[in-house]
Amino acid sequence: MSLIELFLIFTKIGAMLLGGGYVILPLLTSEFVEKRPLISHDDLIDYFAISQSLPGLIAANISMFIGYKLKGKWGAIIAMLGITFVPFWCIVLLASVLGTLTENSYIQGALWGVGIAVIALIMLTVREMWQKSNRNLFFYIIFILALCGLIFIKLSPIQAIIIFTVIGVFYKRFFEKQKGDQI
Amino acid sequence: MIFFHLFIEFFKIGMFSFGGGYATIPFLYHISQAYNWYSLDELTQMVAVASITPGPVGINVATYAGLKTAGVFGSALATTSEMLPSLFLVIIVSKLLRKFSDNFYVKSIIETLKPISCALLTSVALGLLRPEIKDLKAMILLGLLLIMSWNSKKDPIIYIILSAIVGIGLTAFCHFS
Repeated sequence: MSLIELFLIFTKIGAMLLGGGYVILPLLTSEFVEKRPLISHDDLIDYFAISQSLPGLIAANISMFIGYKLKGKWGAIIAMLGITFVPFWCIVLLASVLGTLTENSYIQGALWGVGIAVIALIMLTVREMWQKSNRNLFFYIIFILALCGLIFIKLSPIQAIIIFTVIGVFYKRFFEKQKGDQI
Repeated sequence: MIFFHLFIEFFKIGMFSFGGGYATIPFLYHISQAYNWYSLDELTQMVAVASITPGPVGINVATYAGLKTAGVFGSALATTSEMLPSLFLVIIVSKLLRKFSDNFYVKSIIETLKPISCALLTSVALGLLRPEIKDLKAMILLGLLLIMSWNSKKDPIIYIILSAIVGIGLTAFCHFS
């Protein structure tokens, strides 16, 4: 497979992605496992799991894993460029139109509704994350401490992530690991 | 100078956001307060537009935020800097795939990041909710949207379109009465 072909496949996937990173798995399976037997299904599932635990966007991470596997560093870069190509120009074109439309009172009404929808979507994302996590005492303590830090001390997201990750890893290192060793 | 800040801020988002596109919102919320690049209203518009256009939401929002701040070049810069940390990490992790996911520290960090990500998004939801709380129409719409998704979260587009229609309907209603 050439780099150009790789770019085109990822451009196509980028154009078909609607509604967040999780939709990408079936698209990738169809392109790289079924249509072209380039990657095993097990590898793809591994990449997906690791992409979710790495920082950054899940869809971009998994695309770069595949690009790297097939074509090395340039493959990863090409996959990144491919997946962003259509979304990028979509937004650039749409945003230039949107600015002039917002004077209209009906559009303003629509935007009011959309603002509420975004709040609902964020709340539902929290619920989804909540359901997917293994909620033990550790989870609740970190959650409550982090939330208090963010609301009352006004920590920035990065400060919160660094402080509470350090606390969490220390806790696990000195308490949970010992427990595990004894058993 | 704005390009330098744009690069740093979006690089940080790429480095520190865990859990996909919506996980970048807390950072964008923080940016809207720290810099005067865009307002909170514009942020919710960005998220809405990102949810109804193709592509990963995180990329869409970065493109949009860059555009608002510094034009097309700003979008390209924001999008690239957001993905740069991932690029390095993917290349490193690809080389030590199995070792990576079995490592004690990696596992502990991932375990700890889940409640932190939940807390980050919860605080943004509360921040966005606060100005709306006295608006009865907004609260009813929000309640209906949440009830609608009681069993499972639907496609984000449905929420955006449905709420936009309600908003237009209410505007029309106010005009004629």
